[in-house]
Amino acid sequence: MDIVRTDFPFISLSLALPAISALLVVFLQERFARAVSVVGAGATFLLSLLVVYLFDYSRTSAVQFYEEYTILDELNIKLSLGLDGLSLLMYLLTALVSLVAIVWSVKDRQVSFRLKEYFVAFLLTESFLIGVFASYDVLVFYVFYELTLIPMLFAIGVWGYKLRLYSAYKFFIYIFVSSLFLLLGIASVAVVHYKNTGSFSFSYFDLLKNSYTPGLEIFLFLLFFIAFAVKTPLVPFHTWLPDAHGEAPTAGSVVLAAMLLKMGTYALLRFNLGLFPDATVKLMPFMVAIGIITIIYASWMTIVQNNIKRFVAYSSVSHMGFVVTAMFLLTQEGLRASVIEMFAHGMTSASLFMIAGFIYNRLHTFNMSSLRGSVKFMPMFAVIVAMTSFASMGLPGGSSFWGKFLTILAAKEYSYALALLVLVGAFFSAAYILFMLKTLFLDVREESILIHFTDIRGFKLVSFIMLMVPIFLIGFFPHLFFNMFEGSIGFILKNLLGLE
Amino acid sequence: MDIGQLVGAVQIPRLELFLPELTVLITAFLLFTLELVLSSPLKRVVLPSLSAIGYILALMSVGVTIQFHGDTFYGTFTNDYLGVLVKVFELVIALTVLAFSQRYFQSKGSFYGEFYYILAFTLLGTMILASSYNLIIIYVSLELVSIGFYILTALLRGSFISKEGAFKYLILGGLSIALASYGAVFMYIYSGSIDLREILTYSGGDYHYLILGLVLFLIGFAIKIGAVPFHFWLPDAYQGAPTPVTAFMASVGKLAFFIPVVRIMPLIEDKFALAWMLTVGVIAAVTMLYGNFVALVQRDIKRLLAYSSIAHSGYILAGVAVTKVIGLKAVIYFLVVYAVMSAGSFFVVAMLERDENWNNEIREFSGLRFSMPYLAFAFLVYMFALLGVPPTVGFVGKTLVFMALSFDKLWWLAFVMILSTAVSTGYYVRLVVLMYMKDKEKEVSVPEKSYAELASLLFLTLMTVVLAVAPGIVWQLLSPAAEILFAR
Repeated sequence: MDIVRTDFPFISLSLALPAISALLVVFLQERFARAVSVVGAGATFLLSLLVVYLFDYSRTSAVQFYEEYTILDELNIKLSLGLDGLSLLMYLLTALVSLVAIVWSVKDRQVSFRLKEYFVAFLLTESFLIGVFASYDVLVFYVFYELTLIPMLFAIGVWGYKLRLYSAYKFFIYIFVSSLFLLLGIASVAVVHYKNTGSFSFSYFDLLKNSYTPGLEIFLFLLFFIAFAVKTPLVPFHTWLPDAHGEAPTAGSVVLAAMLLKMGTYALLRFNLGLFPDATVKLMPFMVAIGIITIIYASWMTIVQNNIKRFVAYSSVSHMGFVVTAMFLLTQEGLRASVIEMFAHGMTSASLFMIAGFIYNRLHTFNMSSLRGSVKFMPMFAVIVAMTSFASMGLPGGSSFWGKFLTILAAKEYSYALALLVLVGAFFSAAYILFMLKTLFLDVREESILIHFTDIRGFKLVSFIMLMVPIFLIGFFPHLFFNMFEGSIGFILKNLLGLE
Repeated sequence: MDIGQLVGAVQIPRLELFLPELTVLITAFLLFTLELVLSSPLKRVVLPSLSAIGYILALMSVGVTIQFHGDTFYGTFTNDYLGVLVKVFELVIALTVLAFSQRYFQSKGSFYGEFYYILAFTLLGTMILASSYNLIIIYVSLELVSIGFYILTALLRGSFISKEGAFKYLILGGLSIALASYGAVFMYIYSGSIDLREILTYSGGDYHYLILGLVLFLIGFAIKIGAVPFHFWLPDAYQGAPTPVTAFMASVGKLAFFIPVVRIMPLIEDKFALAWMLTVGVIAAVTMLYGNFVALVQRDIKRLLAYSSIAHSGYILAGVAVTKVIGLKAVIYFLVVYAVMSAGSFFVVAMLERDENWNNEIREFSGLRFSMPYLAFAFLVYMFALLGVPPTVGFVGKTLVFMALSFDKLWWLAFVMILSTAVSTGYYVRLVVLMYMKDKEKEVSVPEKSYAELASLLFLTLMTVVLAVAPGIVWQLLSPAAEILFAR
């Protein structure tokens, strides 16, 4: 991997901006909390657009905007920040969705108390997530990876719905414990580096050169995999997710679904595929199987949910199944599908959770059977619901189309049976989305309550629009995004298949 | 032997190596004398401030001793980087103990002049324990520390649990010292020397004596550090002792008791490495599991923290099992930072105890964030640090132990550690959830916080994060300390 150093610390600035805004929120009066956080997140988003503009697309496999600060010389721990194409996309996603979540929260009724802490939690999450996606030091990556837990623990536990404490515990314990395996794995790869070369190192670039005995490599692969499989989540490690997403406040669910899950898949791609190529090739069939099981099982679970938030949560699991299946097909198409689906799912799931939150504001229930026909008399909102749903279903023109299409294409190269299985998964995901649309649009209900509903407007409309734009951008101009990470996945693939 | 030879053998002690201990010793005797002669109101001002001045002077003289290394007093006292590092932490934490104890005892309606000089003598014991290879000196300083702790534990004369804790500690502590000294005897029989360096590098003689001696010696220390199954005194003593004293025992005490073990660790020869690894590893595994599982069901915060302290002995022992440089570094780092974390968490409890209605029950932490936001935040930091969430010192400590374990491929122990940390999530996160996510159960107010207390708490809380984010601060002493110990 090449490194392009930077003259101006863009990445640490975008790490610092939300953190500084969080500090300001702490020390200013509560009435400024909203404004400061919107401005902070907005500035970070603008900065991210600038970075996207300045990025050199002719060499996307190189780590650009690279900065390095030594933390501990002897163990070679460095705060090394940079962006290659893959990180760039995730970084853009983080900046965008954090802004959306914060703009949404400005008028969210669920957030009427402990405002300061609320916005501090979300701003810190943004900062930590940027750290996760931009770190090229495995230990520092782990630090940011774990740090995102704390604000989310608070978001779920303080501003969540009825079962919030249970869900907060479950979320924290699941993820914290699974990531202890990752920590052991990280410690071990550094030790392997020591045994290979005589010095410890946590730097991603150094660890790429590690050589392992086959047994150890598979063992380490699994240590990393457990953590990321819980985070992603893959069946059977998914049980924390419906609770956490179901009970979190809307913005919390948005952040969880759109970005925290991506940490899992991003890390699978970056670390499992990058650091343990031989093990990946060996374990590929199992991983694909887990992916397929996740798609189909989660789709079935989605259809029977009676709570619309848990419905959306399970649909996220099923989408993550697509991401992982595509990733472990280990072809150019598959990796493309996987990465574009990560981004696309970030948009659609965020939007779906916001839809659920919006309806809750009107009807005060998440119960599917009470939501019958609820979007009538809200034309603008209905359009948004329809667009999001079709995009999430994988209709051409929407964002998820490319992910699903390319996955099937990649699976076909492997075998037609596999392609058929993916197709069945895609069919089920269409089925549950259509089921939801039917409930919201077509089912009949007493209309006397519904006519009093006001349509979507103001901050909430703005946050939806911010998501709609990229949904269609991906749908109609996918090459814009493919160009971003073509080189990075090419690099991973080359490393994986031993081509140099 | 003619007189000339005798005079020639007399060494002039290198006092520059012994300066911090000397300062604390003089302070202790001054405190002792002043406690006898001064009038009561005057004592309340003079004794704490004199102790503080003495400790600060000692801390400064530690800075002097960094430049000088070597043995003095006929090889019985060794000054090296390890000793210096440990002494810095011991003195700093002793200073914070001073800051908290005054108001604490005031709120209990009593003032104990003897607290100050016993604290000073105990501190002196821990400092000597940290820098000696000599069995006799280890024995003497161990006694000095232990007797100090027995008295300090029983300081709250009116309280039943205080006496109970002290009595248990006295019985088991006495046993531990007996075992350790008995072990020392066997080691002497084996090698004819009372210097640990010579004993462990001695070849020839009957190895059985060495093993017997070493095992007895280590069991003595296992009792002191609260390793399962020798831990029974620990929760009672920690609960019964006045809370600042508990903080002192959990931090400085644990640190000091571990140091002889740390000094033995690099001297273990390769042929014993496997036996050592298995023995210590099994004790470590049992200790961390037991400590965490039992902590899960505690209702009293001090007992909870006591069991968490047992569990941490287990984590540190896991590092001790690995007789490599990385293992030693992990152990030293974890030891010094555990001192910071545990002291801080007990100090928060000490402050809360000044509320008249406070009973140290865990459910009283409900909604603490609403009545005491800053204190609750500090406690949150300590809980996350003890749990090992980044970017706190507990996380770095656990990472280092994991590195050490994977260095020797002790995967089973690593998995036990993951399991026990998973268990510990239950109670640490419960406290956080209680403080921040539950409604307030009752109003908690701590009267008249002094600046010294607040400054100490702020300092310790900052250190919990700073020593992890910038580990170079301890690493520049720690790394040469470990390297030198292994170079021998």
